[in-house]
Amino acid sequence: MKKLSLFLAFAALTSGLSAAAVVKKTDTKASEARQSEFYERVEIPTPAGEVCEVSSIALMPGKKVAIGTRRGDVWIAEGAYDADLSKIKWTKFASNLHEPLGMFWKAGSLYATQRPEHTRLTDTDGDGKADRFDSICSKWGINGDYHEYAFGSEPDKNGDVWVVLCLTGSFHGHSPWRGWCVRVTPEGKMIPTTSGIRSPGGIGANEKGDMFYTDNQGVWNGSSGFKWLRPGSFQGNPTGNKSAALSDFPAPPEPTSGSRILTERLKFPDFVPPAVMLPHAKVGNSPSGIACDMTKGKFGPWENQMLVGEQTASQVQRINLEFVNGLYQGAVFHFLGGFEAGLIPVRMDQEDGTLFVGGSNRGWGSRGTKPFTFERVRFKGKVPFEMHDISARHDGFEVTFTHPVDAASAADLKNYAMDTFTYIYQASYGSPEVDQTAPTIKSATLSEDGLKVRLVVDGLVRGHIHHLVTEVKAKSGDTLWHNEGWYTLNEIPAAK
Amino acid sequence: MRPSSLLALLATAIFASAAEDGAQVYSTLCVACHGPDGKGLNGLPPLVGSDWPKGPAARSIKIVLSGMEGPVDVAGKAYNIVMPPQGAVLSDEKIAAALTYVRATFAGGAGAVTPDEVKAVRAATASRTTPWTAAELLKAHPFPPAKTALKNLVGTMYKGNWKELPDFSTLKPALMEDFNVGVVDPDQSGLKSNFAMVWTAQFEAKEAGKYTFTLDCDDFGALYVGGEKVAEIKGIAPIGGRRKEVPVILKQGLTPIRIEFVQVAGEQVIHLGYKGPKDKGVQWLSKTRGGNAAKNTPSIPIQPKDGVAVIYRNFISGTTPRAIGIGFPNEMNLAYSGDNAAVELLWAGKFMDGGHHWTDRGAGNEPPAGTNVVKLSDGQALIQDTAPSGSIVRFATEKGGKEMKFSPLPVAGEFKGYDLDKAGNPTFRSTGEGFALTDAWAPDTASGKPGLVRTLKASGDKAVTIVLTRGVALTGPSDGVTEVGANLVIRAQSGVYPRTNAADKTLTVTLKPGESAVLGYSLR
Repeated sequence: MKKLSLFLAFAALTSGLSAAAVVKKTDTKASEARQSEFYERVEIPTPAGEVCEVSSIALMPGKKVAIGTRRGDVWIAEGAYDADLSKIKWTKFASNLHEPLGMFWKAGSLYATQRPEHTRLTDTDGDGKADRFDSICSKWGINGDYHEYAFGSEPDKNGDVWVVLCLTGSFHGHSPWRGWCVRVTPEGKMIPTTSGIRSPGGIGANEKGDMFYTDNQGVWNGSSGFKWLRPGSFQGNPTGNKSAALSDFPAPPEPTSGSRILTERLKFPDFVPPAVMLPHAKVGNSPSGIACDMTKGKFGPWENQMLVGEQTASQVQRINLEFVNGLYQGAVFHFLGGFEAGLIPVRMDQEDGTLFVGGSNRGWGSRGTKPFTFERVRFKGKVPFEMHDISARHDGFEVTFTHPVDAASAADLKNYAMDTFTYIYQASYGSPEVDQTAPTIKSATLSEDGLKVRLVVDGLVRGHIHHLVTEVKAKSGDTLWHNEGWYTLNEIPAAK
Repeated sequence: MRPSSLLALLATAIFASAAEDGAQVYSTLCVACHGPDGKGLNGLPPLVGSDWPKGPAARSIKIVLSGMEGPVDVAGKAYNIVMPPQGAVLSDEKIAAALTYVRATFAGGAGAVTPDEVKAVRAATASRTTPWTAAELLKAHPFPPAKTALKNLVGTMYKGNWKELPDFSTLKPALMEDFNVGVVDPDQSGLKSNFAMVWTAQFEAKEAGKYTFTLDCDDFGALYVGGEKVAEIKGIAPIGGRRKEVPVILKQGLTPIRIEFVQVAGEQVIHLGYKGPKDKGVQWLSKTRGGNAAKNTPSIPIQPKDGVAVIYRNFISGTTPRAIGIGFPNEMNLAYSGDNAAVELLWAGKFMDGGHHWTDRGAGNEPPAGTNVVKLSDGQALIQDTAPSGSIVRFATEKGGKEMKFSPLPVAGEFKGYDLDKAGNPTFRSTGEGFALTDAWAPDTASGKPGLVRTLKASGDKAVTIVLTRGVALTGPSDGVTEVGANLVIRAQSGVYPRTNAADKTLTVTLKPGESAVLGYSLR
């Protein structure tokens, strides 16, 4: 009885506080319900009777789209862009490869990064089926462990394909180059490029051609992250370090467990911290494929922003990046949701503005309940009221909105809440959120065009994730589609 | 400190201890894999019907704190997955509450777990950085002995290297122990290679009648019932292809049974079971269970269609991880190793079953689905007169403590890809220092017997030697005909003939640039 009454007193206390200070977050279901105002999400029928757990997507000339599946089949669709998807035509190009997790079209061939190798698949006799399979590079180790995944990028400006190699069982380096990013040249040479990888979910470049990958929460990853593969860098997980000795790669850092990323990366200049942390259970649980929006507005006003798939939550998140003191950093926002299975590949047709996604929930559960899915998303033309991006300043942040903000609403400090936290950087699995702080937002100043709110913040913490929630209203009276952003403040920029 | 914040702190502390609701922890963290009803979701292991959450609390606490990985049997089904550790995320109180809930709800009322127990295990295992394996946990916290038909089971271990079953009466045992666990398990030897186990026990027949015994081994072994040898698995090959089923008539009561098992290298598995007069399925007497009876995956046969050969790239037992399986329409099958640039397995009948790799997370190796599996060779198949210069390097991996050690292995040549003709027949391509080789396989349509024709062609400016078989007993060749083990015959049809090398027990063919060899392979 005593405990109960104290509990009630505590509940009353917190609810009293929340009315005064806590800004309400948009609820996932509510935001997914609004999605159809702005985006059209359509399931693309896969070949009848076939299990198409889409693991890779390649865009081909003539509006053809190829999908690779976890069972290893490659299918080519004609009509995947059409309004009437009932007439879609599928042709089987290849069968039973070994889990292709990266695919692209180049000069008359499909290229697939499959578990044992990077492969060129060519139809030399024009019958619609691949008949020549060239093993371009098979120089990384595999030992029969199901978790030794290999995710391959599209070619970079040199024609090199970047491959991120998951640890054995996601915990060990039992084969050469597990836990590494390697580049494969068109001639098949393998160039070890970064150490420090744990369990990737996808890889892709930004508009400048800098390569990024997603890494999942686990050992040495307090939470999942969106990471910049700067050549020569260490990405934070030392498990695969011993492979450095197999080439002339300099010995990667041996960081201290139980520390913080900031502390360790200041000790080791090669340690590139995650550009954007993806807070576990808040943003998602398992980030996957990466696409850069270079559609010049065809997909909405997100030019050069990064779109990241999410396996567990069956969503696509949105990231804005900036480059501060030699490092990438930026904010992640919830974006698209309601997909039918756990998403793996994410591919943007930059000319057309169609986003293709696919995935499966085999082996790892997802919010989407179907065993596999292939879908496309198109912008309907109505720009949602959103935080377009968050940009760091020496004394706070500048938030740019997609529509002019109501002046009174923008100036009211009760419409903003900010908290910060980080994770323990440790050899054990995951981390609770730690070192929480509550910075004070001292002022909010709206720009003349009404699009930018300059927040002066007392208490920025270098290395922390700064979580911003805002309830500002648009000039039109509209509310935000999503009202939370998580900014990873690797570096505090100098005053201009 | 202001009074209000003090009150808040006090309330928080009490709130925390009063409200560590195990059901709530379960429904936020555990439910995604184990399911709301504890029966497992998406093919992940159940808690209901499992022995794991029962018994000593320390075993369950260790699993939650540090996670678990690798092969594990749960409720009669085999899994090979990772459970992520939660020790860094969950307090002792939360773990105790969740385990108490799980044990009460899904484990038939196994006892409550206290935060102090969790605290003690956390302290004792603080240095543990990787997930536990099932073997480690069961060594520290074994299940109660299984009640099987094997009574008074005694195991004797011998060290040595044999190619066929030795006469154990002449050998000196290295270890003899009572294994009061009711099942035979090669891991009871504590070794991974070059040993033999002999188990003796009394087999308890509940009633008189026909008992059909099942035996399969990797590598080989024999079964004696009532003093007579009733089944023998010969040769060195992966499990799955040589399974024997033999009926034995037994009286009610105890009959002596003896199992001999030899492990040379690689995987070590024995499948031993029986089906009695009233049994619906196989009753397993081995720790690892054989096919069908306990397989928790559906069967997804991969077979050639419309007279066109089928390919399967995945992990195939008996060859290396970069395996490429080809199933031909005449019920002949092969597996090529991309690591060794060699066809390493041949077998007859069914090709492969995708049910295992294509459901759940697809862990582990899948044996060939057919019969008469012949292991042709191990290791690199391409050799030159001069040692490799190091321009092509692969890596040898071997266990060095807990982790693997890698050492560079210069090789003469490497796999470069393959072409598939309209009938799906493969031509594997490899290149090396001064040579290129094509290795084409197609069904033998001329002989009328189940067989394959292999055509090897070399080009470039240096000769290359191709190892056709290594480590298999050879007879011949005479007139170009070589008997390979008990099941395979290789016939030279044209071009360069193969030759045997008695010293290293290989059958090889050496091709100079422009030369070829055509070989017929037929399985008995």
